[in-house]
Amino acid sequence: MKRKGAIIAGLMALALGASACSSGSSASGGNGPIKLAFVPGVIGDAFYVTMQCGIQDEAKKLGVSVTTSGPQKFDPTLQTPVLQSVIAAQPSAILIAPTDTSAMQNPVQQATRNNIKVVLVDTTLKDPSIAVSAISSNNSGGGAAAFAAIKQLVPGGGKVMTVSVTPGVSTTDARDSGFSNAVKTDSKFTDLGVQFDNDSAQTAAQIVTSELQAHPDIVGIFAANLFSAEGAATGVRQAGDQGKVKIVGFDAEPDQVTQLKSGVVQALVAQQPALIGKDGVDQAVASLKGQSTTKSIGTGFTVLTQANLNTPAGQAAIYKTAC
Amino acid sequence: MTSVASKPQSSANGTAEEERRGLLGRTLRAQGAQIVLVLAVIVVIFAVLAPSKFLTPFNIRTTIQDTSILAVLGVGMTFVIVTGGIDLSVGSVLVFSGVIADKVMAAMGDQGWGVSIVGIIVGCLCGLGWGLLNGVLVAKAKVPPLIVTLGTLGMALGFSQIITGGVDLRDVPDVLANSVFSEIGGQLPTLTLIALVVVVIGAIILHRTRFGLYTYAVGSNAEAGRRTGVRVQRQLIKVYALAGLTAGLAGVLNLAFFDSTTIGGQSETNLNVIAGVVIGGTSLFGGAGTIFGTVIGLFIPSVLQNGFVILGVQSFWQQVVVGAVLIAAVYLDQYRRSAALHGSSVQFPFLSRFGSGSRKVTPR
Repeated sequence: MKRKGAIIAGLMALALGASACSSGSSASGGNGPIKLAFVPGVIGDAFYVTMQCGIQDEAKKLGVSVTTSGPQKFDPTLQTPVLQSVIAAQPSAILIAPTDTSAMQNPVQQATRNNIKVVLVDTTLKDPSIAVSAISSNNSGGGAAAFAAIKQLVPGGGKVMTVSVTPGVSTTDARDSGFSNAVKTDSKFTDLGVQFDNDSAQTAAQIVTSELQAHPDIVGIFAANLFSAEGAATGVRQAGDQGKVKIVGFDAEPDQVTQLKSGVVQALVAQQPALIGKDGVDQAVASLKGQSTTKSIGTGFTVLTQANLNTPAGQAAIYKTAC
Repeated sequence: MTSVASKPQSSANGTAEEERRGLLGRTLRAQGAQIVLVLAVIVVIFAVLAPSKFLTPFNIRTTIQDTSILAVLGVGMTFVIVTGGIDLSVGSVLVFSGVIADKVMAAMGDQGWGVSIVGIIVGCLCGLGWGLLNGVLVAKAKVPPLIVTLGTLGMALGFSQIITGGVDLRDVPDVLANSVFSEIGGQLPTLTLIALVVVVIGAIILHRTRFGLYTYAVGSNAEAGRRTGVRVQRQLIKVYALAGLTAGLAGVLNLAFFDSTTIGGQSETNLNVIAGVVIGGTSLFGGAGTIFGTVIGLFIPSVLQNGFVILGVQSFWQQVVVGAVLIAAVYLDQYRRSAALHGSSVQFPFLSRFGSGSRKVTPR
């Protein structure tokens, strides 16, 4: 029993001693090698993994190091502690995809207050002026690209609709409005508006079957994500309209590419996450070296169809699950 | 019944031993002390591996700040688990309270302290309401707490989504958001100060008042409590109401801190709080537990995640380690209970396995 007490006392003394000496040496130098940190909106998601690959490739090329840590869900309550731990690790610059425009404002500002440069990738903040640069897809352009794809598939025109995830998400809202604005420019097409499925394929299927009851002449559906597209396809099949109704999905995650291959969707509008990541690294490094930076960068899209899927350009547009 | 005969002797041994071991021994005997040791070991490991980054004032401050809302929830949860119950609804009640508080503050349309105080009160009342519902269903309707709170988990979240259409609200008055996010004297986060006050009040109620004593009584043996005059049903209702109240307050704090109702982000909050309470030495069987242990138990996952991110270890590992610590904590609790049943006072079963014969072999 005595020995046990001694062991415990020893451990505690060790704890106190270690904490005392390490807190004394917490000051860090400013002009070391450039270290970047990437905080995606969620880890394990193909979109962010592809972005991470782009970041790592560019960092390697420029001879800087980069670490990646992110939350397990796309949510500010989970991203905030991760970001704060990243700030504590004192990188030179942080590339972050904020999970909420207002909730992440203060936590990201903690980074700039600690003299860490910030580059916003994909998503943005209420006040993006604190960042060196904000890089994202031109989302309303993505909506327009989706309409262009439908137009190519159904040149004769007709009624079109959008199945989106939830209202109030800046990126998907911009895509939806980009789509409906593009429809308005072409008199051959009529827009039936946006319906929301709360990320449920079942709800999306119900929405699409009832819309097809009301409007049997729908020719095209813009499905904002994986489940929307899956549900829309199920709904179209239930109504017996497969082949007649064209579905265009957004993003090119491996599951969505499978949908394209099997004919569930007829086209995919792919963002360029690797390019967003590459631009992010370039902007961060430029700002750390005192060179000029660009406040806001919009990246483009690749439209994937079965025709171009197997070309090198088509293969490069598919999101990766590992680098 | 042989253990009864040997009991006086063994307890006499115990006190003599205690005198010999002095203050340190007695401190370590206290519930939650072992878990402080685990936390200390974790801190030491990270401090050694990342000396210039882990123990900086910024990192210590933000780690404590990130644990503060969980600590508020943990106070209510400790009371519930001490009665032998469980409350799965805290995360949803937190969201619901935040949503209603936000709606009320938005409807009043002002940015001042008056509106903020109304919002805080409304949020707390919402939590209290759900807590009372839980308590009445558990105590009077005799529905098992697991099912009652699983039901209210879904209901509170469902109502939040109905009211908001699933879109997070952000109508927090600036004064409230800024003061909750700010730091007093540049070091102590306001959020942490509020949590600390709640923790101290909770600890006083649990450990120093009749209410706390009755809570333990209900958890140890409800029937015995009833026969000695404890109004068990009323006590249970009060305990669940208290847990609801802390969830309501946490809802307002969460709303103010994140400037968002975070509807999607609270699905595992209940399990994280329960894990913290159990790691902190509160017995799932009721009748034993401390608020102090809960606070330490909540810090272990936070510190692990923080340390792993700083070291650049995949943060998936945090879940693995927390899972292992959780199982170890419950194993300890089980061992302590069976040891207590047999009159021994082994506090470190995992150490005594390697010690010199101090392990008590219980004949069955």
